[in-house]
Amino acid sequence: MSRAVGRWVLQPIGVLLASVLLLLLILPVGTLVSGAGLRGIASALVERDVLRAILLTVLSATAATLLAIAGGLPVAYLLARVPFRGRGVVEALLELPLVIPHPVIGMALILSMGRNSTLGHALAPLGLSVVSSPLGIVVAMLAVSAPLFILGAREAIARVDVRLESVARTLGDDRLQAVRRVTLPLARNGIVTASTAMWARATSEFGAIVLVTYHPRVAAVLAYDRYLTYGLSAALPVAGALVCVALLILLMLRFVRRPDIA
Amino acid sequence: MIRVQDLTVCVPGFVLDRITFTVPEGGLGIVTGPTGAGKTTLIETIAGVRRAGDGTIMLGSADVTQAPPEHRDVGLVYQSAWLFPHLSVRGNVAYGARRAAASGELIERLQIVPLLDKPVLTLSGGERQLVALARALAREPRTLLLDEPFAAMDSALRGQIRSTVLAWATEFGATTLLVTHDTLEAIHDGSVQIRIEAGRVRSAS
Repeated sequence: MSRAVGRWVLQPIGVLLASVLLLLLILPVGTLVSGAGLRGIASALVERDVLRAILLTVLSATAATLLAIAGGLPVAYLLARVPFRGRGVVEALLELPLVIPHPVIGMALILSMGRNSTLGHALAPLGLSVVSSPLGIVVAMLAVSAPLFILGAREAIARVDVRLESVARTLGDDRLQAVRRVTLPLARNGIVTASTAMWARATSEFGAIVLVTYHPRVAAVLAYDRYLTYGLSAALPVAGALVCVALLILLMLRFVRRPDIA
Repeated sequence: MIRVQDLTVCVPGFVLDRITFTVPEGGLGIVTGPTGAGKTTLIETIAGVRRAGDGTIMLGSADVTQAPPEHRDVGLVYQSAWLFPHLSVRGNVAYGARRAAASGELIERLQIVPLLDKPVLTLSGGERQLVALARALAREPRTLLLDEPFAAMDSALRGQIRSTVLAWATEFGATTLLVTHDTLEAIHDGSVQIRIEAGRVRSAS
């Protein structure tokens, strides 16, 4: 293939396709925010129901992400470092929530953890319920988005050469110390990226939450409820406010990243 | 002392088969052999970072065959150095040092003072090996396992550093196992020579 074909045909096609893709990504969100208007978003942000829904969303997503980090890092390490029989099956099970529709996950959660389930009966005396509670929101967010964290963290850990850990262990570290002093600092950026992706996915979750916990409402359910009850124009400020808050938090999270260690 | 008896190690596509040799306490063992003979696998298994399939490994009077690396009291230096890239040169050398003064002494003896403020990733191959040697020696291990640690150094520096490291080992009574491709490096009075080919010991004397 000649250079001229690359320069005059492939390059413009690439630029055109990239532009169309970017437009497809930006146009709907841009239209939504401009449709809501700054004044509308500002008034939504001081509305009690909206503030409560955004706070509930952000806190639930943060709790789900912290739980995923605490429980998911050992799983990610195991998948990255320890060869065992059935690893492929475990990885496929972890990827399952990424491909099945989220309302189906919601149904599965109601069946397995709802009031009529064994777990539901066990939780009831403790005053806990997965259905129609903040706990249900956190569980639904965990179920749909924790795989994103675990798979991302696994990749980040796998990129750190195992010989660095080996050397650390000959220098006196046990496995846990070597992971804490060598592997995790070197995998830090990848783990932060995986946490951010999970948090973002949890914040935007709707399909599973709307089945498990319609009340109290997270921001996505509140926007949907306003849309169903009052129409698009009433839902726009809530949706716009959610976009602005999410963008602000994502920008803040970018500052947590450090320059990559090559 | 390093005593390896009928050591068998299986790795994908390769078997280290019934390796037997002894390096006396405070002595020097030199392992030679072609690329792919199993020299690094042997060193890693003695260090405990690779699991032994069969046989025994004695370091001093202790059977360490099943012991984790941190309980073997070994210093391991790879050809590729494997410095911790998120730490400074000083941080690398001090990483496992039992005495704070030990890393300072090694920094002086191996002449890496000018490197202390350099980011690890900007060091040359030879400089990295110097830092890796200082890091391993600063722990003052009873057994020193060196996998071609002088290969990236220029010939003048290589001889000098090799003498410094072996003098340090003698001073501390450490038993040393050195893997090398360099035929001149393999000539050392009183050393135990171990020749490995295709996963088997061809000669040990």
